[in-house]
Amino acid sequence: MTRFLGFLLLSVLLPLTACAPGSAPSASLGNGAEDAVVTQPFVTGAIPDQDPEKLQRLYGILSDYLSEELGVPVEYKPVTNYAASVTAFRVGDLDMVWFGGLTGVQARLQVPGAEAIAQRDIDAEFYSVFIANTDSGIEPFEDSAGLEALKGRSFTFGSESSTSGRLMPQHFLQDAGFDLSEFRGEVGFSQNHDATIQLVEAGTYEVGALNEIVWNQRVEAGAVDTSRVQVVWRTPPYYDYHWVINAQVTERYGDDFVERVQAALLKLDPSVPEQAEILDLFGANRFIETQNSNYSQIEAVGRQVGKIQ
Amino acid sequence: MTSAPPQTPAAASTGPVAPTAPVWTAGRVWLLVALGAIALSLIPTGLFRTDVVNGGGLPQLGRFARASLTPDLSAEFLAIAGQATVTTLFYAVCGTTLSVALGLVGGVLMSAVWWQAVFPQRRRPFGQVLRLGLAVPRAIHELIWGLFFVNIFGLDPLVAILGIAVPYGAIVAKVFADLLDETPRQPLQALLNSGVAPLPALLYTLLPQAFLDLLSYSFYRFECSIRSAAVLGIIGAGGLGYEIFLSLQSLRYEQLWTLFYALFALNGSVDVISALLRQRLDSPTRMDLNLKRQRSARAGVSSAALSGQPGTPASLGASRSPAWERRTRGAWGLGHALLTTLRERLWQALPAIALLLIVILIPVSFRWVGADYSKLWSPRTATLLGDVVRLATPIRITAADGAQLLQLSLQTLAMSVLAIALASVGGILLAFPAAYTFFLPGGLFSGTRESRMQRAIAWAGFIATRLVLLVCRAIPAPIWALVALFVFFPGILPGAIALGLHNLGILGRLKAEVIENLDQRPLLALQAQGAPAPSVFLYGVLPLTLTRFLAYSLYRWEVCMRETVIVGLVGAGGLGRLLTEQLSSFDYRGLVVSLGCFILLTFGVDAVSGAARRSLR
Amino acid sequence: MPLFDLQRVTQRFGDVAALAETSLSIYPGERVALVGSSGAGKSTLLRLLNGTLLPSQGEVWALGHPLGRLSSRQRRRVQRQIGTIYQQFHLVEPLRVVHNVNAGHLGRWPLWKAVLSLVYPLERDRAIAALHRVGIPEKLDARTENLSGGQQQRVAIARVLVQNPLVILADEPVSSLDPERSRDVMALLRELVVEDGKTLVVSLHTVELARQFCDRIIGLRQGRIVFDAPTAAISDAMLTQLYALEDEG
Repeated sequence: MTRFLGFLLLSVLLPLTACAPGSAPSASLGNGAEDAVVTQPFVTGAIPDQDPEKLQRLYGILSDYLSEELGVPVEYKPVTNYAASVTAFRVGDLDMVWFGGLTGVQARLQVPGAEAIAQRDIDAEFYSVFIANTDSGIEPFEDSAGLEALKGRSFTFGSESSTSGRLMPQHFLQDAGFDLSEFRGEVGFSQNHDATIQLVEAGTYEVGALNEIVWNQRVEAGAVDTSRVQVVWRTPPYYDYHWVINAQVTERYGDDFVERVQAALLKLDPSVPEQAEILDLFGANRFIETQNSNYSQIEAVGRQVGKIQ
Repeated sequence: MTSAPPQTPAAASTGPVAPTAPVWTAGRVWLLVALGAIALSLIPTGLFRTDVVNGGGLPQLGRFARASLTPDLSAEFLAIAGQATVTTLFYAVCGTTLSVALGLVGGVLMSAVWWQAVFPQRRRPFGQVLRLGLAVPRAIHELIWGLFFVNIFGLDPLVAILGIAVPYGAIVAKVFADLLDETPRQPLQALLNSGVAPLPALLYTLLPQAFLDLLSYSFYRFECSIRSAAVLGIIGAGGLGYEIFLSLQSLRYEQLWTLFYALFALNGSVDVISALLRQRLDSPTRMDLNLKRQRSARAGVSSAALSGQPGTPASLGASRSPAWERRTRGAWGLGHALLTTLRERLWQALPAIALLLIVILIPVSFRWVGADYSKLWSPRTATLLGDVVRLATPIRITAADGAQLLQLSLQTLAMSVLAIALASVGGILLAFPAAYTFFLPGGLFSGTRESRMQRAIAWAGFIATRLVLLVCRAIPAPIWALVALFVFFPGILPGAIALGLHNLGILGRLKAEVIENLDQRPLLALQAQGAPAPSVFLYGVLPLTLTRFLAYSLYRWEVCMRETVIVGLVGAGGLGRLLTEQLSSFDYRGLVVSLGCFILLTFGVDAVSGAARRSLR
Repeated sequence: MPLFDLQRVTQRFGDVAALAETSLSIYPGERVALVGSSGAGKSTLLRLLNGTLLPSQGEVWALGHPLGRLSSRQRRRVQRQIGTIYQQFHLVEPLRVVHNVNAGHLGRWPLWKAVLSLVYPLERDRAIAALHRVGIPEKLDARTENLSGGQQQRVAIARVLVQNPLVILADEPVSSLDPERSRDVMALLRELVVEDGKTLVVSLHTVELARQFCDRIIGLRQGRIVFDAPTAAISDAMLTQLYALEDEG
């Protein structure tokens, strides 16, 4: 039994000592001055608003493209929740992230010098849709006054931090004088757009709000039973998804690095097959320029709703 | 409130007449308090006011249930599930190893006996101070720790490992400290008196003396770590929890069930191995709660230093525990000699096999997980920690916040009470059919001459209840919550149901173990008197087990309280939901206040549960 | 110079004085027996001598050092020269015999050596030699809890042999053993002390053993020394008085 104790002690201690040399490679990065080949990779990330497998594939292609364009290794690190992507950006584990409107503002407010550099052509005029189960008998309406019809219905948002799945729908509801407590039961958070569609289609919730792009894509792909669920209202437009980059990357890759990344993104051309695939996966025709000031409405709404302190 | 039940004045004055039995015993007072608490807890669920049941989700629930029969068994997905299972296992191994290491150090430093050895002449309260200090990391759930560590370590496996190791280390430390303090100290004193320094003296006396208990508890922690590693997966540590969360979010139920089955297999096999090993080492109980009497009796025997005392591991090898005997007899019938020898050999070799597994698993796990430990002391970590502190201060609470916090705290408390009520009652009901000493052939309540049919039914019932318990505890509470949210509107009720189901699985098994380890002699005596089974149950089984059942339930209530936060994170109600909003709003100051509330609540529950448990002794 | 020097020592536990105003010197090479019925203060005296207790009043000097005024490090250094054997042996039962014997080294061993030895027993030769002297060399790798009482006491003595102190204190070392074993163990103790030129202070509940194995006997009653004389000078009358008085009290 003593031997047992001894082995146990050893087996506890061994891995602890074993990790000491394990940390050596990362430390040697700094002093390996002569081999300039080992450049620290430029790390990208994205808010997990879609199927992670799809994100992994999309960002694999994008990383290859950027790596070639920029001449530095590019890596993609998956993140599993909205808040973690913001935090990872703040602590410097992610250099550039594909954020939603709200998370982008949250991230920029926490990282001095961070900059919004590009968005999809569709993001400058982005919409959310309110969808309803057809059994609910709610008819489509044009004006926000029609939201009145949702009173006493059960309702779900997407993720707590989603701009199109929560922030802006909540904003437009409040603008129309609609209090969340007027829904039946507590409002739900389905966590992502696909789940919102499925839950409303199945009737778990009678009404839900989500990203219009995702809705359109799913309808086109035939993944939605439109006899069971339909759009009842389209919100006014707002700015949404965009790339935010940490200004500190210039210290690593040179002063013009932010401009070079921006140029690489804007250069994506739908007529080049590989690049078309990237744009297609993003649901975009092109990337266009954007700037921090485009998101002041989001910031104001975020503060009003309490998602920005 | 517990110690002095009010005497009825009549009993005091009537002199020689037989004394009236006191009406207000401590037990009855506590029972009343418990029933009152449960009734009060039903109010904030809104059961009587608003819609809580969402009938629209029933078809979805049906789809979910039906998918259990058609899990996704494609090679591609099985590979994913396999890898996720391995990931979860490895994270659990790393987390357990670190928490046991931390717990060993913390346990020594928290124990009274250590400080007495270091300062033999003066009393120093360092142990108590540390005990108080470590109550805080204990009160905060692994998931919250994980979310905090993301802020200072970034995206690194370290987050998940430390997320398990920090709170578990604190829990292990407390248990280890208690174990060390309850170990006979004369051998330690003898070495100290001959001029040995405290540390080597401890290594040569208390540690080997308490070793089996420490080891046994460490294995129990490993079982818990598996469950925690699955939960941590949900915040992105990878592994089964992560995959389950993804499948559930995209509502791919077939894949979900494949992952569930992997989780059951992992949980089940770890539980079985751990239970067998503990039985082999003769420490059959998972936790020594409220068992001071039993422990001191054992300590008394060992300090009397009689040779060849019964029940020591050495003598066990020769004469196996009666429980094992029963199990082998029951499980395999009369089994032929070869099988028996083989089993005997395996049984003998069990510690060696386990040791080998441990020795291989630990380094492999650490290597595979590949956390960057340099982050622990890197300047970046210090800077980021500074940032978090700066963001989280100064704290301010407005009256409106206070009112909201109070309301949410009460809701959270109610959720924990309902959860433990469900888990406790369900656990007791399922524990009896799940104990192999009861209805199975050869068990207490099986007839002597049973037909083959009856036997088959008894076996089927046994296996079914065990499976139900396994399913309940293997599925993490947040996942239960997401399932409950199909048919309930968000609120504390789905949260309570989720927590209740998960803890029911854990309590049911603990209670089944209590029953299995029951001293059978008083029961057999009752039976020999000709008492029918229900009477034996009422006069024998219940009195012998109820106290311990309640002790486990009360202990588990503390755990439930900690866990309310994680079902809140996925949208059930209470403080957890507020925490989620604050986390996604990066409202660090608010977060500190909510966490403070939560810690106070946990302390309060600990105190009440502790008082109730003491009154049970 | 005396090995031990007690100067007007009083030890109180609460209101009870276990030892009152006691002065006493013990010199190298002596074999001292403490006799008296239980509660007379024998154990208290021994615990004062090995530094477990610090007196309520007065001062205990051991090996030329005032125990009460030493730092814990200094006190440990003195204690290494004092080996103690207990009535209940105080061995660690789940450990193998070799570790219990090696525990005698712990005052001198650095920590790493102590840890290593738990995995890989060191200095087995010395452990075997010590066990040989107490007559149970074959028990080296046995588990301590499987040994009989007499064997366990021998292991405890072997531990003290390995510790190799200047003085051995023994607190009722034979009261858990039957008479035959008792004489064996006492003979062993005397032999070891005489051979190595050590000092022995032993508390005993039988005067027989004290007369047979010691050269100085101290009688204690209710925390006071009733007599303190060479064995040859002890009369039956003195003993009768020691225990008789007890009965009246």
